[in-house]
Amino acid sequence: MTDDTPDDGSIETDGGHATEELPAGEDHDDHGLPPMSSVKRWFLTTNHKDIGILYIGTALFFLVFGGILALLMRIQLWAPRAPGEGLLGPLAYNQAVSAHGLLMVFWFISPFAFGFANYVVPLQIGAKDLAFPRLNALSYWLYLFSGLLFGVSFFQKATFSGGWTMYAPLNIPAYTPEVGATTAILALVMFVASVTVSSVNFLTTMHRWRAEDLRLRDLPLFSSSILLTVWMMLFAFAALLAALIVLSADRLLGTTYFVTQEGGSLLWAHLFWFFGHPEVYIVFFPALGVMAEVFQTFTGKRIVGRKWFVAAMVLVALQSFVVWMHHMFLTAINLQIKTLFMATTIGISLPFDLMVFALIYTLIKGRIRFTTPFLFSFGALLLFIIGGITGVFLGAVVLDYEFRGTYWVVAHFHYVMVGGATALFGALYYWYPKITGKMYDEFLGKVHFALYFVGFNLLYFPMFLAWQTPRRVFDYNPAYTPWHRLATIGGFILAVSFLVMFYNLYRSLQTGADADDNPWEYSSTAEWAISSPPPLENFPGLPSYKGGKLNFVSKVTGGATDGGEVTDGGTAVATAAGAGHGTAAATAHEEEHASHASFWPFLLSLAGFLTFVGVSGINKGGLYTPLAAVGGLGVAGSLVGMAREPFTVPSPELAEKWPFDGVEDMKLGMWIFLASDVVLFGAFIGSYLFMRVAEGWRNWHHLIPADHVVMPGLINTYLLLTSSFAVVLAMVAAERGSNKGVVASLVATLALGIGFLINKGIEWQHLFHVHSEAFPEGWELSTNIASSTFYLTTGLHGAHVIVGLLITLYMIPRAWRGAYSGNDKPIEYFGLYWHFVDIVWLFLFPLFYIL
Amino acid sequence: MTGEPAVPETALGLVAQAGGLVPRGTRVEVFNRIYWVFLILGTLVGIVVISYMLWKAYKYRDTGERPAEDEDEDDDRPTLGELPTGSGGGKKLFLSFALSTIIVVSLILWTYGTLLYVEGKTTQDSADQIEVTVEGYQFGWRFIYPNGHRSTTLRVPEDKTVKLKVTSTDVFHNFGIPELKVKSDAIPGQETETWFVAEETGNYTAKCYELCGSGHSYMQADVIVMEQSEYQDWYSQTTPAPEENDSGPESGEGESTETGGESE
Repeated sequence: MTDDTPDDGSIETDGGHATEELPAGEDHDDHGLPPMSSVKRWFLTTNHKDIGILYIGTALFFLVFGGILALLMRIQLWAPRAPGEGLLGPLAYNQAVSAHGLLMVFWFISPFAFGFANYVVPLQIGAKDLAFPRLNALSYWLYLFSGLLFGVSFFQKATFSGGWTMYAPLNIPAYTPEVGATTAILALVMFVASVTVSSVNFLTTMHRWRAEDLRLRDLPLFSSSILLTVWMMLFAFAALLAALIVLSADRLLGTTYFVTQEGGSLLWAHLFWFFGHPEVYIVFFPALGVMAEVFQTFTGKRIVGRKWFVAAMVLVALQSFVVWMHHMFLTAINLQIKTLFMATTIGISLPFDLMVFALIYTLIKGRIRFTTPFLFSFGALLLFIIGGITGVFLGAVVLDYEFRGTYWVVAHFHYVMVGGATALFGALYYWYPKITGKMYDEFLGKVHFALYFVGFNLLYFPMFLAWQTPRRVFDYNPAYTPWHRLATIGGFILAVSFLVMFYNLYRSLQTGADADDNPWEYSSTAEWAISSPPPLENFPGLPSYKGGKLNFVSKVTGGATDGGEVTDGGTAVATAAGAGHGTAAATAHEEEHASHASFWPFLLSLAGFLTFVGVSGINKGGLYTPLAAVGGLGVAGSLVGMAREPFTVPSPELAEKWPFDGVEDMKLGMWIFLASDVVLFGAFIGSYLFMRVAEGWRNWHHLIPADHVVMPGLINTYLLLTSSFAVVLAMVAAERGSNKGVVASLVATLALGIGFLINKGIEWQHLFHVHSEAFPEGWELSTNIASSTFYLTTGLHGAHVIVGLLITLYMIPRAWRGAYSGNDKPIEYFGLYWHFVDIVWLFLFPLFYIL
Repeated sequence: MTGEPAVPETALGLVAQAGGLVPRGTRVEVFNRIYWVFLILGTLVGIVVISYMLWKAYKYRDTGERPAEDEDEDDDRPTLGELPTGSGGGKKLFLSFALSTIIVVSLILWTYGTLLYVEGKTTQDSADQIEVTVEGYQFGWRFIYPNGHRSTTLRVPEDKTVKLKVTSTDVFHNFGIPELKVKSDAIPGQETETWFVAEETGNYTAKCYELCGSGHSYMQADVIVMEQSEYQDWYSQTTPAPEENDSGPESGEGESTETGGESE
């Protein structure tokens, strides 16, 4: 297929002619996947490149969506407005502000970056796909449908109107009663589900599917930035999920977290910013990675101080979790804590200085070509410098006091975040030839950049000059009118620049010149060593960095290769064109097993979407309840369908897996997922402790009826511990090959778990209907903060138990048919989950029953 | 100005406050001094860094000429498929990094002295000050004086420290008077403290700086700074009555949402 197999001398030049036949070849060799021209393919595909394209396209759609809302706001801000004046009413304006923020931060920037990550990271690390292709498709569909769900919220009276920070208690129905506000929160929940699935997938892939001898520290900087981003995402989004679950419960089930006077409002701020600050870096890191990559290519110079650059990123990623309270300097936190967070905040700004200087010094002695991608990256760096300097102002607490809630903050974070997005637009041009196989129009690209850069600065710089304007108001001091007008004009220029971009992208796809495999001189990463666009399974052989350079190796003989015990002896470096052909044939043959199509991720997400729409108005009755029921059935059906679907993903035989050599993909994935679950429960337990301290640790007992006794909890502790033991027995039985033993142990697990739930049900029923002097109406979810934390936290745990039991229910008939005989792995993975649920209970029991 | 500020006895505080470098005075003075230093330094650093960056980018633009093979340094360019490494220049990198660290850290330490001063004043009690409780509600501000007088206009004497205890009866607000550079979160169930000194008599406007609902844009209150004697006269005539005449929508709206905290 391809004959530009690199040998040490002449990799860049000898591509060319043979790649012409590639797309055609790919269409035939599609592994059950319809061709790209077929609409069906896009619903079925699990291929990382297809999904990357879907992500990019969808993210651009949300850019337009959020952008139009921004333009509406800018029109409203043309002049200071009296109530009811202008295009938008007060509530509509608040909706526009909130939806703009949420859409841009959640549904545009990160997914846009992850479109590139999806496409490029497997290519850069030498993987054929992500470790869990169907989960990758699932991430995408959950993302799309969560965005559509957000869209639906506009049609349910009003969408959420409390700002993207969603401060409590404005976020509860007493102040934002619209059904659409609930839907927007649920859309975020669904989005977090997508992020979590995606994080598990990327982390497993990047830790276990790297090409031979590609150490973690050797990852190209774009991939490094993505790896760190994903680690931050895994933990930060778990905290957000906790906040969103609590908020949804407050909105739908009547728990009282955020309406509680003592601490409710601050609890939200803590939970939100614990997520919110890492989120800033989550948004910005991929852009940083792009800048590094693009700078290296178009200056023709390796990044100055590369290892320090990486070290700085690692430092930021770690530190990002200990700076959140700098968003809360004006809440009643004391001086010591302010000092601490001032110090960490300044601390986290310093690594960025180093990265900026590293990029600037990379220019020296370069051969700089001002192509569109470079212009965007260079512009992004310039904008980031302005954003960074104005951020130092905010780090000085005394100044922060005055900037809080003003346009200074708005201007600053737009310079940083949209500055980051600037680099991502550069990425779009940088990888466009690789993704489409066509060159974009360089002239139009430069026009786009010029309009973009002028528009950007006209839009955001005047905001510094009008900084005394409070955020999110449209009645401002008339003295600032000229600055706001300038900003509005800038906003429209920025918008026009995107018309140029869309035209360029579309036009070039039709009439652009065919792109070479490697259109950029001095590019170094692996995606440029294969054809444009790359074939379905990416490489003409197994990529390897043995010897310090990318090679594609293959097995010598095509026949005896089902074992996977590939050693040095069993591989050969393909150097000649002829050998290259052999390689391709051999790999194609071997990979007939790999699956690339599944309809279930789409169906599952669609069903999830329907469920959430139903749940959003479940308190209103009407069509909502049946919709939720239908959706729920769909979810269950799709999950079973997905589990039963035969889907093969051959794990790479030859790969760099440090530090997870001894762990399988599934197990690592489970560990990673559980790590995020630890943060989820941690946030719930933290919330409980926070609210209890706010209430007064001892006073808490007055909120709990005497009927809330230790015994049911104690019995449940025994039940769960015993059930964990039963899972261990099931594993032992599976190792021995005893089907009956497996079935018996799993049935025991199921029975004990059901016992746990029944016991809990009886306990709850009793508490709901308590009739004591203090609680004449019973002790329900909405009774007080103690009942809310108790029911919701143990309820979340109970939901985990139910999920575990459903998995057991699925496994029992399979065990009966001997699926686990001699293969105890699936039971082990389930066991990991089940033991975790067990351990969580060991924390909840003392917290909610004894203390 | 009231007496000497209470300075916490931390080493950092002492160092920072040495030599009278630390801005003190009204919040406006403090803010302006720090803000202008930051602005001038920030602009300077920005111009230097960005010009340097533009100059280098221009200087090393690709002219299309490829030097002869033997020019060693220029020959070492990234090649396709190599394992990534960095290029030299670490010394310069660390020098600039150290320089930027020194600038940023010393700036922040300098302002930390002022932070201690500002915070010290919040906790300090003195007879020569007045204290007002501020309650935010959807969508207005209520000011409660020590004698129980309630109003939606804040009247304060000039040249006197005014301490504010800020809270909210419904959602999260933020109370700020931009001209007087005072600001504090108004959080339901919490009380935050802050202070200010108004040096000139006149009318000012207090605004809300946290999105709080459909009336957020118009959530304002008048602040009237009076001469001290005039203030005394006015204050002696006030009564613990619930409100002033000119406070139209205040009590009705405020009260109705106060109980809004209960869930449905």
